[in-house]
Amino acid sequence: MPAGVTSIESVEKKAAAPGAGESRVSLRRGAYLPDRILALLATCSALTIILLLVALVSVLVYAALPSFHTFGPSFLVHSQWRPNELERIQRDADGKVIKDADGEPVTQTLPPAFGALPVIYGTAVTSALSLFIAVPFSIGAALFLIRIAPRRFVNAVSFLIEFLAAVPSIAYGLWGLFVLAPFLQAYVEPRLNAVFHRISGLHWLASSSTTGRDIFCASLVLAIMVIPIITAVSRDVLRTVPSTQIEGTTALGATWWQTSWEMLRYCRSGLFGAIMLGLARAAGETMAVAMVIGNVNEIHASPFAAAQTMSSLLANEFAEASSDLHRAALLEVALALLAMSLVFNVVARWLVVGGGGARAAGGH
Amino acid sequence: MKGLIRNIAAIVALGGSVALAEVRLQGAGSTFVAPMMQRWVSEYQKLRPDVQADYQSIGSGGGVKAFLEKTVDFGASDAPLNKKEFAQAGGVSAVVQVPVIAGAVVPGYNLPGFNGELKLDGPVLANIFQGRIAKWNDPKIAALNAGLSLPDLAITPAHRTDGSGTTFVFTSYLATQSVDFKERIGASKQVEWPGGSGGKGNEGVTQVVESTPGAIGYIELAYALENKIPFATMKNADGKFVKASPKSTSAAGEQAAAQMDANNAAPLWNQHGANVYPIAGFTYVFVRSDLSYMHDKAKAQAVAAFLTWVIHDGQQFASQLDYAPLSAAVQTRAGQAIGRLNWSGAPIATASR
Amino acid sequence: MSHANGLIAARSVTSRVTSRVMWLLCIAAAGLIISVLALVLYYLVSIGWHSVTWAFFEQDPQPYGSSGYPGGMRNGLVGTGILVGLASIVGVPVGLLAGVYLSEYRTRPWITSTVRFTADVLAGVPSIVIGILGYELLVVPIGHYNGWAGALALAFIMIPIVTRTTEEMLRLVPRSYREASIALGATKARTIVQVVLPAATGGLVTGVMLALARVAGETAPLLFTALGSRLLTFNPNYAFPSLTKQIWDYATGPYAEQKQEAWAGILVLIALIFVLNLGIRFFARSVQTRT
Repeated sequence: MPAGVTSIESVEKKAAAPGAGESRVSLRRGAYLPDRILALLATCSALTIILLLVALVSVLVYAALPSFHTFGPSFLVHSQWRPNELERIQRDADGKVIKDADGEPVTQTLPPAFGALPVIYGTAVTSALSLFIAVPFSIGAALFLIRIAPRRFVNAVSFLIEFLAAVPSIAYGLWGLFVLAPFLQAYVEPRLNAVFHRISGLHWLASSSTTGRDIFCASLVLAIMVIPIITAVSRDVLRTVPSTQIEGTTALGATWWQTSWEMLRYCRSGLFGAIMLGLARAAGETMAVAMVIGNVNEIHASPFAAAQTMSSLLANEFAEASSDLHRAALLEVALALLAMSLVFNVVARWLVVGGGGARAAGGH
Repeated sequence: MKGLIRNIAAIVALGGSVALAEVRLQGAGSTFVAPMMQRWVSEYQKLRPDVQADYQSIGSGGGVKAFLEKTVDFGASDAPLNKKEFAQAGGVSAVVQVPVIAGAVVPGYNLPGFNGELKLDGPVLANIFQGRIAKWNDPKIAALNAGLSLPDLAITPAHRTDGSGTTFVFTSYLATQSVDFKERIGASKQVEWPGGSGGKGNEGVTQVVESTPGAIGYIELAYALENKIPFATMKNADGKFVKASPKSTSAAGEQAAAQMDANNAAPLWNQHGANVYPIAGFTYVFVRSDLSYMHDKAKAQAVAAFLTWVIHDGQQFASQLDYAPLSAAVQTRAGQAIGRLNWSGAPIATASR
Repeated sequence: MSHANGLIAARSVTSRVTSRVMWLLCIAAAGLIISVLALVLYYLVSIGWHSVTWAFFEQDPQPYGSSGYPGGMRNGLVGTGILVGLASIVGVPVGLLAGVYLSEYRTRPWITSTVRFTADVLAGVPSIVIGILGYELLVVPIGHYNGWAGALALAFIMIPIVTRTTEEMLRLVPRSYREASIALGATKARTIVQVVLPAATGGLVTGVMLALARVAGETAPLLFTALGSRLLTFNPNYAFPSLTKQIWDYATGPYAEQKQEAWAGILVLIALIFVLNLGIRFFARSVQTRT
């Protein structure tokens, strides 16, 4: 055996042909032409990917520059969103209209103002609420699939879950708008709202109107959309627990739950990664949210208040932002959305691959 | 099976027809006029099969933007271009702005169990949309509707979230009815509404009203009639309560020609007359006056021909879809404006055939 | 394990009851998820079911008030097919080659990990942001909405997915295949093209189908690029129809018959994705048997 290995290595050195992926790209002169062509094409394709990200960031930054210059960092904490000028008639201390020399009322023209706080709030609250709902069910279902369900059942359920993860968001949006929202509006929200009114500590959660198209409905739709992802990734992460762990704890007399808890602890970084992936999807979701969020660019405490998320704002306003400043403000919001999704995805990757995966590879 | 084969054959044949010299016109903008415009492009294609016009309903704000960026051949908006937008387009003489149809904006409502005809006036409507009148059984509403019992239900005002010519018409009307409204909210395509629920396009507001008990929203008449949404009768400038209809909208348009500014824009709201509906507006189509940027003479001619057809023969379809046709005086003004279309200075033939 | 000793002492009544309760809760969680997902699927299928007629596939949309209203969604079906096809022409080769690079060529580790990282990150970017990129790159310079921009935006979405799945699948091909090929005197290009890629075919097809299923259902990137059209057209130089945009237009429109058509469109879209998912499962099975 060792002899065979040596001879392959010497053949490698002699022919100067690269081995399975660990030596140089043969772009130098004298290398066989098809090798050079393939290497060139492969390298260019790989560089295209980097170019894509660079193009994305630079186009957004360039187009958002007017907004940077006008508003600065306070863009992220202001909550006024007024794309057009507003003419306000000046009044004096008594409330009487001030008139100029010609008898015309003196008006003050308020310039357009843009602040991203309402959409940041909307994205944050809908994502957080959807995860709050989805995570317990997803982890519970993943445990079920790994530890309780019979084999054939697992395959069927896994297919259902993966299929539903692939269903386009416009389908969920339609379902949310025509089925869930009317249901919530007719049966659920008025009752919950009445409860909030009654309990004195929860008054701030009550809303003056319950239309069914609000943060609550959007969070429910998002929860249904991220459950398949979190379940599937959690299931895959939990599968990496070595059977020695499971058998070991059971042999020592642990109950079913105690063993399961140990499994969850073992995979906790992978599970956090799964949650982050769900968060990334929830925060970036556009079509389904745009249809059920109510499209009101304001901050209200109640979950039954309509709101706007960063992506639904873009879907609603991008097509018609005719002034350069409006467009720049929207692009700044797009940039914030991009930055947020980058952060979530990076953290998720590091947690799933770095944490859970490495541990699986290295044993305990 | 036969249908499938027929279909595939049709697709293959159509693929072949791409090679023919057909003209493709792209328009976009107002959702207010969308049902009418979709009908127009379809009927015009029957007349001239070589002209394929397409209209995308993205809101008046979108129509103006697409027109300014030249990403469409014609834009449609219920709000005429303002000074800034004219400047962006290269000046007043660089644009041909033409009214193509008149429509009514109605306050559609959703009051379960209420079967009477709701009456409202301008100041009350302004207060409703400012959030000052919060319940349907408020005395101010009851005062206008003596004898009818209104439910103790919260009012949810539904408004547009996108840049909307319908909003422009509605807020312009309310600004004439309430000084407070004019100052705090103002009249434009996109305003900051206090509270309420938002929808995108006339379609979105229609959906909000349809599905929310207690909602009241401003939508174009066609959308209200199509979806069987009851709408309020409004008190007009002469103190009469008038229900929106093609007739009462036409009445609003009668004095329009006299009030038109140099760019063919005229306010149709709050006009005087016994049978005039007070919340009406024109939809305007904009095209560049010099069409040589299209680099396709056949296309430029098609634009001129299409627009001419729209303001003359196209008006016959108006009342079918609950819009009000242009009066003869307005048609003449519009025709004159279309006559300004040129190809680097040379006039374009505006025959509609 | 660290607290194994503690576990022996902890097997009290409380812990047994807790265990039972949690066991039941996990079953309940799974049951609830399955029922809710099945319920959503049921609604999506049942509402549109009776609107999927031959007319749906044969006719283009007709405006309200004209004969033939509401028509069908032929323009959208053909449009999506063409857009996805055009996107694949760019997306699949670039993705495959980039995956080949990540798996077979690793010049300097930092390039490889940067590309891999970038692909992962791009796969998670919200598609509406990609649509904005497509608008700025291909709509503004050309001057009007066009199908090329839509196809390009879809290709941008496809590339990271195909890249990563290709890389993963190529890595599953045993080293011995490559070594045997080299031992027989083949060059690297030959090895890759004639040995490695064919060995991974099942997995590669899986990756491409995943990407196709994803982009066929996208709406947001097409909103500002291809816009949409009521016409059946094969000309991507102008605004271009797609199934998802047509569904969106109808669903947010005022007319009841059009909303029914939207549901029918959703059903057809889901059926398409279902078929693709079955295909993915089928090909994925052929991948596992090789290792």
